[in-house]
Amino acid sequence: MEVLVFIIVGFGSLVAIGCGIWVAIALGSAISTGRKENMPEEPESDS
Amino acid sequence: METAISAVVVIAYVVLLTFVALRARTSHDFEDFSIANRSLPLALVFGCLAATYVGPGFTIGFVGKGYNSGFLFVGIALAYAIQNIFVGLVVAPKLRALNNCYTLGDAIGQKYGKNCQVIAGIISVGLCAGFSAVMAKAGGDIINNIFNLPREYSWLSVAIIVVFTALYTTFGGLRASVITDAFQFASFAIFLPVTLLLTFYFHLHGDMSIFYNQAYEATAEGIKSTSFIKIIGLVTAFLLGETLIPPYANMTLASKTTSISRNGFVLAGIFSIFWFTVMVSLGIMARSIIPEDTLEDHELYKLVEIVMPHSGYALLLVVLISVVMSSLDSLLNAGAVCFTQDIVKSFVPLKNGTALNIGRVTTVVIAIVAAVCALFVQNIINGLLTCYAVWTPAILPALIIGLWIKKPKPLAGILSMSVGSAVSVTLWIIFIFILKQSVDLSLPSVIIPGLAFSILAYFIGHLWKTSKSGA
Repeated sequence: MEVLVFIIVGFGSLVAIGCGIWVAIALGSAISTGRKENMPEEPESDS
Repeated sequence: METAISAVVVIAYVVLLTFVALRARTSHDFEDFSIANRSLPLALVFGCLAATYVGPGFTIGFVGKGYNSGFLFVGIALAYAIQNIFVGLVVAPKLRALNNCYTLGDAIGQKYGKNCQVIAGIISVGLCAGFSAVMAKAGGDIINNIFNLPREYSWLSVAIIVVFTALYTTFGGLRASVITDAFQFASFAIFLPVTLLLTFYFHLHGDMSIFYNQAYEATAEGIKSTSFIKIIGLVTAFLLGETLIPPYANMTLASKTTSISRNGFVLAGIFSIFWFTVMVSLGIMARSIIPEDTLEDHELYKLVEIVMPHSGYALLLVVLISVVMSSLDSLLNAGAVCFTQDIVKSFVPLKNGTALNIGRVTTVVIAIVAAVCALFVQNIINGLLTCYAVWTPAILPALIIGLWIKKPKPLAGILSMSVGSAVSVTLWIIFIFILKQSVDLSLPSVIIPGLAFSILAYFIGHLWKTSKSGA
């Protein structure tokens, strides 16, 4: 049980850190490559 | 030397944040200001959604709950994850698919007409201002803690946080809000879990049994001291209170595609489960580290102060300010967009430039109102719960039913929103101010009847109109 709790908490921390890194990379990309590539002017919809 | 390193860390963070905010550039038209030209990719939609809902309640508040109630609150807050996933799968794609839609009020206006849009706009602006006041208060408290300011300088701390946030939101609109939110999300999503892991490794020396025993003890205490009705109230609040509030609706509408809108909400819902686990675990670890008489809203500060070096403590306090700013900027922008689009534009046709200017001025006005009201908000979580109580009965039935049925009737929308608001406000006044019940106990007694009356009023309005047009 102790190990299970530890795994849940450790996994939760790593997932949160991973999400932070993912968003940081996307932000870096949006800032460095410019708005046009990451934020196109033309709206589009797949619906 | 330590103070100098702390100052460098804080200054470096502020400079980096300012750089990011400036890179977002100034909005040149209302579509850019309100929905970032419907161009946001998945990572930014997810990051901004998570940054907006992870406010002080979901950080400082949850650490305090973990300290007192262990993992009980993770179980209760699962309702929040379910709500986000439901919105992502069912509501967000339908909302995003609407054309020429800038706000939730716009969606309601397209379904029920201008009168309903104005009512939705008034409720949205009020809610955003109320939430902003809660965030400004929390931000002020954090600055007070950083500089050890006495209580009488609270107004100064609130002013600092509101002015800085309002500055980039006023000029950059939603784009600036999203870009800075992504930066702020990355900061706290990395640093707070790292703090948890460091605390576990250095202070508990990797001893799982200490953490397990504290978790078991706290959870048992939490279950024992929390009544069933209180649990129902909290589950109701997490399940319904924050559903599709204006900043989230704006993120839906700003997504590049309907699938990004759907996936953003689903991912944000799943992330919340991990986030709650991390915050509650920090609270559980604090039990064996911080003094027992620490106030609930100060347990995170105390833990970080003890376990981190001075510069790390300074950095984490700045990260906590980010937690507040990332919620505050989205609320200010959403409030301003709702006011311009749902209220002003419903009465006067506006040119693009004029709408943009009104949006900017409204951002400043809501910021000022929030700063003033912040001085009267007593407790962070209670303030949030007060806002939750009105939103759900007032808006959700009309919005969700309207998105699903073919020919919604304007009378049904007006009745649902008016009755839902009136019933929830009246019950709130009765329970809180006359019967003097606690906020969390009163919540189900307000939201559930408010919701029931709102749905009932909707169907009365719908059937009334149907029978009239059939006659």
